[in-house]
Amino acid sequence: MAEKPLTEQESLLIIQQMINRAKNNFVDSGIGPMLWGSVITICSAVQAAKIYFDFEMRFDIWWLALFALVPQVFISIKERNERKAKGWDDDIMSYVWTCFGIGVFVVNFINNRLSAEMAPALEAYRAAGNAVQSSWSFASCYLLLVFGFPTIITGAARKQRWMLAGGIFCWVSAIVAAFTPTYVDFVLMAFAAALSWLIPGIMIRKKYVAQKGAHV
Amino acid sequence: MFKDLDPILHSQLRLAVMSLLIGVKEAEFTFIKEKTGSTAGNLSVQITKLKEAGYVEVIKQFKDNYPQTICKITPEGIEAFETYVKALQTYLPK
Repeated sequence: MAEKPLTEQESLLIIQQMINRAKNNFVDSGIGPMLWGSVITICSAVQAAKIYFDFEMRFDIWWLALFALVPQVFISIKERNERKAKGWDDDIMSYVWTCFGIGVFVVNFINNRLSAEMAPALEAYRAAGNAVQSSWSFASCYLLLVFGFPTIITGAARKQRWMLAGGIFCWVSAIVAAFTPTYVDFVLMAFAAALSWLIPGIMIRKKYVAQKGAHV
Repeated sequence: MFKDLDPILHSQLRLAVMSLLIGVKEAEFTFIKEKTGSTAGNLSVQITKLKEAGYVEVIKQFKDNYPQTICKITPEGIEAFETYVKALQTYLPK
C-alpha cells in the first residue's frame, strides 16, 4: 500500500475495506461445534435406544463426551496459535462456553445426588404399583435448557442463524421433555445437539474452507 | 462547515491500520501486514508514528522462541478515529 494524497471517498473506502477484512478473519473453523455436535448426538441417540430397547452396554456411552475433551484441548491450542488477531468478543465467548461446561457438570452432579436420595422412596412408590419417571427425565430438561444458553448467545453474536435456531429448539425441547418419557427426552437431545452444533458446525466449516481457499 | 482531518490518520496506510485495529481487540504485526498488503519496513514506520501519537499500543514479546509484535488501538486512538470519521462525513455530499 503506497502513500499518496487521499480523497475523502478513498478514505471511506479504505475504512470500509479494512473493517470487512478484519471481520472476515473471525470465521470459526467449525471443528469444535462438529466434534461436540456429533459426540452429543451419538451419546443421546444410544442412550435413547438403550432405554427404549432395554439393553445393557459394557460401558457408559457418556464417557465418550469425557474423551472428547482431549481432542478439544488440542483443537483449542492449535486455533489459538494460528490466530493472528483477537476479536473483541473472544474472551466473552470463552467464558460463555466454560460456564456451559460447568453448568452441564453441575446439573449432572445435582441429579446424581437427587437420584441417590430419592431412590429408596421411588422404589417403594413403584413397588406399590405407581408409575413414576426416573429423575433423568427431568434432568434432561435442565440439560436442554443449559444447552440453549451458549448456543443462542454464540448464534446471535456470530450471526449464525442455524445455531440460533438450534438454541431455540433446545429451549422448546426443554419444555416438551417435561411431558415425555425419558427415551423421547434423549431423542430430543440428539436432535437438539445435531441442530445446535453439528449442522451449524458443518456450515461454518464449509465457509471456513471456502474462505481459506480464496486466500491461497 | 468542513472540519479539519487529523493529519496522522489522513494517510492511506495509517488509516488502513487504524481501521483494522478498530475491529479487533489486538492484532499481530504479520496480520496487519497481510491485510494491508504493505511492506514490513513501511508498516513499521507508520505504526511507530501512530504509537508516537498515542493512537496504538505496541507490545513486543516472544512466542515459541520467535519475536512477536502485537498492536492494539488505545482509547485515544478510538476517539481520534471516531472524530476523523465524523469530520469525513462533513465532506461528503448529503
